[in-house]
Amino acid sequence: MGLRQYSLINDPFQEKSEFTIAVKNVGTKEGGSAFLHHHVHTGDVIEASGPENFFPVRTEARHHLLLAAGIGITPFLSMMAFLKGMNQPFELHYSGSSEHECAFYSTIKENYPDESTFYFMKREQKERELKKVLEDQPVGTHIYICGPSSFMDTYLSYCKNLGYPDENLHSERFRPAKITQKPYPFSVTEKNTGKTVQVQSNQSLLEALREEGIPVPYACRMGVCGTCEVNVCNGEVIHHDTFLTEDERKEKMLTCVSRGKGHLSVRV
Amino acid sequence: MSIHSFPFPFSKEEYAYSNNSSLLDPPWMITVTDDYKKEIMLKRKLLQQNHDRCFRSLPISLESQWEVLRLVLHQLAEAYPSHFSLSQNGKEFKFQNHLLEEEVQFVFRDNASIDLEPLDIVGRHVQEDLILMGDRSDGLFLEAGQLCFPSNWSLTFVLGMEFKSIHYPVPGIKDSGFIEKVERFISRIGPNTAWERKNWSITISEKLDTPLETYADWGRLRKEVTHENAGEMVHLRVEVQRLYRLPINHDILFSIHTYLLSLEELVQHEQWLKMFYENIRTLSSDIADYKGISQYKDEVIHFLEKTMDDKEKMIR
Ligand code: FES
Repeated sequence: MGLRQYSLINDPFQEKSEFTIAVKNVGTKEGGSAFLHHHVHTGDVIEASGPENFFPVRTEARHHLLLAAGIGITPFLSMMAFLKGMNQPFELHYSGSSEHECAFYSTIKENYPDESTFYFMKREQKERELKKVLEDQPVGTHIYICGPSSFMDTYLSYCKNLGYPDENLHSERFRPAKITQKPYPFSVTEKNTGKTVQVQSNQSLLEALREEGIPVPYACRMGVCGTCEVNVCNGEVIHHDTFLTEDERKEKMLTCVSRGKGHLSVRV
Repeated sequence: MSIHSFPFPFSKEEYAYSNNSSLLDPPWMITVTDDYKKEIMLKRKLLQQNHDRCFRSLPISLESQWEVLRLVLHQLAEAYPSHFSLSQNGKEFKFQNHLLEEEVQFVFRDNASIDLEPLDIVGRHVQEDLILMGDRSDGLFLEAGQLCFPSNWSLTFVLGMEFKSIHYPVPGIKDSGFIEKVERFISRIGPNTAWERKNWSITISEKLDTPLETYADWGRLRKEVTHENAGEMVHLRVEVQRLYRLPINHDILFSIHTYLLSLEELVQHEQWLKMFYENIRTLSSDIADYKGISQYKDEVIHFLEKTMDDKEKMIR
């Protein structure tokens, strides 16, 4: 089925060594959800990588406001358990098409009766009510939004207009799994030395440059520390790092993981 | 310090300030060496005499402190099962330190079950200094620390400061954007993952506790270095620094294990002698100033050159 990412919904303070996920069966044939619903059985072994956290709770917040739509509720299940365990004030606003379609409706009602509000109404009315909620928050509130991207875009931009600082707005975009293609060889000209280097498919640009005696510093060799960066003067780059910002990608690349297409010219 | 377990920091024959981090597997934040008992006793003495200087915390750090307490005890028991054990019954924990013949009991996240703050407890069982950095939406902040063996810095001064501001004194790193990169690197460390880097400086005399507050006592020794006593007085100081992402609270634990090796011992290792010499020789003057080496750099070079000469003569 390939790589998929799911939110853990456990209580982080529970003293058990297990991870729980929730997967909605969205019905498409080749999807990961259909696979998990129809082809995975108790006792099967599935390979999983360790947890990551791209959507952390900011405990410095004075108040936490969680805004969920549909299956976007999943990351909030463990967040609410965490916040409750920490005695931090929070409120959940959860919208869905109907009570019946609303995942975890009864669990949430039961565990967080005072903190949760549900919205099973027409879009216009829901928007009016949610916007009122957002307008009426104490200073220091952090907003967390998770749901379909149109939902997230609407409320993120509304919050920005209201004047919430960027640092107080958090949204979980389901990150597309990284597509790992077969690496192709390419060539690189390094401008300072004028040398042209061939990078084989089983080799990184970093290795090729260093073998040629061009000293590029490095540390992690995993595209996470930014040490091995070079300036790109010309050519198309396939970025594989998780470090550079979109802006930086316009003129830089990390040589330990990223590659070129055809021919590149760079400056160390 | 036995020369065999000394973490020699140089791999190149030239000095460059860099983020030379490497991924740790397993992600253990602690190392127990032969000096365990001696250093723990020194730590506890310092904590008793100067608690305010050696331990500081902000209230926001408390939850992460609990996480660190449990994590580090767990790692000790896992890494050194003959020296430490940890047992758990629901939220009740019992830790046994067989090296010191001590026992610690607590109820996880129950502040009434302990007399000291969690970080202050666990720090008394490891040779490392432990620092907690809060990962906030606007940066990393130093929010708690038990720091007995600082290399010329002050916990009181940096408590609550942002990571960037703490590091601005390092020459040349402000303009290059280097420190922002390191901060970004740290802020992206994944849960349960640890990175290690080594940092070095020099200490005159075999003294682990060199806080800014007592500079008057140890700083003056720098003037007393001659090429004759350098071998005995001058020590290479290596800090093995590790960074770890706490999975529950999402903050960063920073551990510092400090090792000292006298030049006398260092020069017995042929390769180390050469690399150390080249690194000191090529050190820029602002870094030499920052590391406090300028005052006696010539004396050290003199000593190293003479040692190398003598060794050559012996071979001939
Ligand atoms: S070496 Fe760390 S990003 Fe390339």
